[in-house]
Amino acid sequence: MPGGYTGKILRVNLTTKEISKIDTAKYEEFGGGHGIGSAVFFDLVGGQLPFTAFDPRNMVIMMASPFAGTFMPGSGRTEVQGLGPGLYPIEWFAHSNFGGRFTAQLKFAGWDGVVVEGASDQPVWINIINDQVKIENAANGIWGMDTWDTQQEISRRVNPKIHHGEWAELASNCYSTQVPAVVCCGPAGERKSRVACLLHGPGSQAALCGFGGVFGSKNLKAISAIGSGSVPIADPKAYMDARLWFRQFQWDVDDPRDPQIFEQGYSLIKGAPKGGNVSNSDRVPSRAAACASCPRGCKERLATADSNEAVCAGTMFARIGGGGFGGGGGAKTAPGASAGAGMPQALSAKLTRQANDLMHRYGLGHWQLMATQSYIQFLTRQGVIGKGKDIDPDLPPSGTYAYFEALIRKISLREGPFGEWAAEAAARMAEKLGRYKDDVNSGNLKLTYWGTQEHYTTQVQVEWGYGSLLGERDLMIHAMANYPLHWMAQERNQYLTAEESSKLYSEAMVPYNDRYIVDYGLSPETGIYSDSKVKLVAWTKHYEKFWIGQGFCGWRWPQCITNNTADRRGATPSAEPRFWNAVTGKKLTFADCMEIGHKIYTLDRSIWVLQGRTRDLETFPDYIYDKPSGGNILPMVIDGKWVYNEGSGRKLDRAKFEDFKTRFYKFEGYGENGYPTRATLEKMNMKKLADTLQSKDKLG
Amino acid sequence: MPGGKKAESEEINNKKYSRRDFLVTGGTVVAVDALVSGVPAIAAPTPAAKETIPVSKGYLVYDSKKCAGCTTCMLACSLTHYGVHSLSLSRIQIMQDSFGKFPDDIKMAPCRQCVTPPCVINCPVGAAYVDTKNGNVRRIDSNKCIGCKTCIKMCPQQPHRTVWNPELKPMGKSSKCDLCIDTAAYWNEKGGPGGKQACVESCPFKALKFVAETPDQTETNGYDVKLRNEHWFKLGFVDEDQPPGTGGGGGGGGFGGGGGAPKSKIPAAKPKE
Ligand code: SF4
Repeated sequence: MPGGYTGKILRVNLTTKEISKIDTAKYEEFGGGHGIGSAVFFDLVGGQLPFTAFDPRNMVIMMASPFAGTFMPGSGRTEVQGLGPGLYPIEWFAHSNFGGRFTAQLKFAGWDGVVVEGASDQPVWINIINDQVKIENAANGIWGMDTWDTQQEISRRVNPKIHHGEWAELASNCYSTQVPAVVCCGPAGERKSRVACLLHGPGSQAALCGFGGVFGSKNLKAISAIGSGSVPIADPKAYMDARLWFRQFQWDVDDPRDPQIFEQGYSLIKGAPKGGNVSNSDRVPSRAAACASCPRGCKERLATADSNEAVCAGTMFARIGGGGFGGGGGAKTAPGASAGAGMPQALSAKLTRQANDLMHRYGLGHWQLMATQSYIQFLTRQGVIGKGKDIDPDLPPSGTYAYFEALIRKISLREGPFGEWAAEAAARMAEKLGRYKDDVNSGNLKLTYWGTQEHYTTQVQVEWGYGSLLGERDLMIHAMANYPLHWMAQERNQYLTAEESSKLYSEAMVPYNDRYIVDYGLSPETGIYSDSKVKLVAWTKHYEKFWIGQGFCGWRWPQCITNNTADRRGATPSAEPRFWNAVTGKKLTFADCMEIGHKIYTLDRSIWVLQGRTRDLETFPDYIYDKPSGGNILPMVIDGKWVYNEGSGRKLDRAKFEDFKTRFYKFEGYGENGYPTRATLEKMNMKKLADTLQSKDKLG
Repeated sequence: MPGGKKAESEEINNKKYSRRDFLVTGGTVVAVDALVSGVPAIAAPTPAAKETIPVSKGYLVYDSKKCAGCTTCMLACSLTHYGVHSLSLSRIQIMQDSFGKFPDDIKMAPCRQCVTPPCVINCPVGAAYVDTKNGNVRRIDSNKCIGCKTCIKMCPQQPHRTVWNPELKPMGKSSKCDLCIDTAAYWNEKGGPGGKQACVESCPFKALKFVAETPDQTETNGYDVKLRNEHWFKLGFVDEDQPPGTGGGGGGGGFGGGGGAPKSKIPAAKPKE
């Protein structure tokens, strides 16, 4: 195998208890991470689709990449794949990822990934110590624990000799000072909640697709990995050179560029340490906490150890007395922020952190929980649920700690009719009430793409909106054009004009290099329905599949512009292949890798087609077409000039968007029905996939 | 893979032992043997050892409140010394408890290049030595190391700064920080006291620093120093020397900035849509 790989993927069948290996080399053409995960999934069960997310045939795949366990900046996330029970109307083959150090430890243990299939008859956890892998009993005290206790108890069981700050012998003659990396579900996942996340550390969630519930359906409580081995690097000198070269793209903590501009706030967006935890508003002493190999450290660990390592939505679901997100002048208001005004700030912040920690401990996914909670409040206001109704949340006053505690507990434990209902997540809650169509199409319940809530204005930040719909879930790649462009322009300090930033973007976005690729205006030639946006969405999906799929952080990559260099040019597209080739020893260009991303997108899309994806399903709810949008400041060409503009008040034009889809499908090599064609699949060396689609009459 | 390369250059291991060295070293070997066989013993260096061993001309100091636990330094260490990435082979160890309370959640453990180095004093075969040609750095010559682990057992630090490399033949050998003297095979920069250190260079948070002056040996925190400057605190971190309310630190750390500067005005281009 080339450098970066360990050469073997761990396969665990929980039904038969068989533990085996898959040769990574068989899947090398897919690069690593997500691509290999998709290929393994298709190979093992693709022909049996469709089946449901809680079917034992579903898999949990966590595939590391050649970068995992190395110091490639911002590559420390773990990509999780499988059918996602949180998605709607079909539990798509989906991905979610979490930060921390899980894949790094998996690689040090000698594995390129782990594939879990089947379902155990008894609660179990998987114990990986180097090449020793065991299916361990979880019925003896671990099942039923919250996510934090689970991880700490498993750490003790992996090796009772492990103590923070000491060497421990992991296996004969093999030592480590590190603690095991554990990913687990909480009580919510045990009960197959569709809101359930996977949690690693105190606050790193794979939140969005309900993978905690998949763990629960398999009677799988946790996977623990620790290793004392090494990751081979094809060209160590080139890799070290690349890492030191990359420093220019990082925030310089001692001597930042243009501090007079960038020290005015903006921490999250400029790529400086801290800033991800929005609930430390009373400024408890803390450190920046980084995922494996991250040069940024957006997380924090506090002197009080509450909200440790949680970021963004992980610190803003609950908000008590104004202490959380926006506490002191932020941009948005978190749902549920209605009571407790006048509370001392320190108390408000502390309770906010602790309420959010409860969410992590029970193992509820923040992003879906937000939508679920908003919908509960909407239905309560409408009088649909409440006292005397079939469903009565019976919660304490909203915005109090007691409210969040009760809400989180009831959903996690499926307490009573309310808990049973809310554990199914917002889309299925609406469906059960017979209100899905009305509430979603009206925009009262903004589940804009596949049961996940609208994140940025669909009609303006179109790579996010279109890219989510043409995917399987909320896109969630902030560093694409959201932090660097939207939030740069929105917050303060437009360090580049719209003309300048759009030019740098077009230069970075190889291979298209379309001058209008980030024109979010309405010009027929270059605006949101144009071929430039076809390329923008294709680029985004290909980047997502190849590079983000390697465990890259969507808060860090891509980097088309940056405040850290003199010319504001970002690390994309020069950094990615430079690191890739040094670690693997290959000689791929950025464009080569993006073409592999295209192939992986096509593979994923084919799996969705096998699950029932149609062109008609790839349609937004009515409110996107019929109601005027909010704004989302971005570069756009208006009257022939590049400007930053909100683009508010738009309604997406149905016919133009359908035409956009047709051109997008064609651009990607798919038929008008959105299905990949045989020619495309064969050109991509995926003939078996073409045969499978043909056997179901689903070729484009 | 590790061990494929001659890990420590032997050419510099030409230390001449004075009679006093020999006596000190030899005398301590007895104690080491006793320790290895299970009798508690302290390798308290004698005053004679202090006089004999020249101090290192370089040290790694660190700021344990600035470190973010990214482990980049550890991976840079293993890469430049062995051509692979490995936390276990790294000669600087960073340990973290994700559930712990700041600042005790992170422990940083680079080698201290002790003024009186127990590893050197106690090595029974002279594999651990003071490299007088390279700034008196305390090093281990893997060609001489017999893998007895004496230096590991005698290191008084917790965790021990001498690092076991199980991949060096035949049964594993000890290694330790050489301030990057021996990195030529895997790094284009010159290391050592007069050169660069891979961990220092690669740390994105600048939580490590090379210094020539000998840190205070009596306290651990002689090495754990404040490397955070005003820019760090402008990100919103609390300065323990100037707690909130006393004018220390800045605001603006978070999303939305906690109120920092007012939002800039978006250029007033009239939407034409
Ligand atoms: S590279 Fe720096 S911040 Fe990262 S673990 Fe090492 S010392 Fe800490």
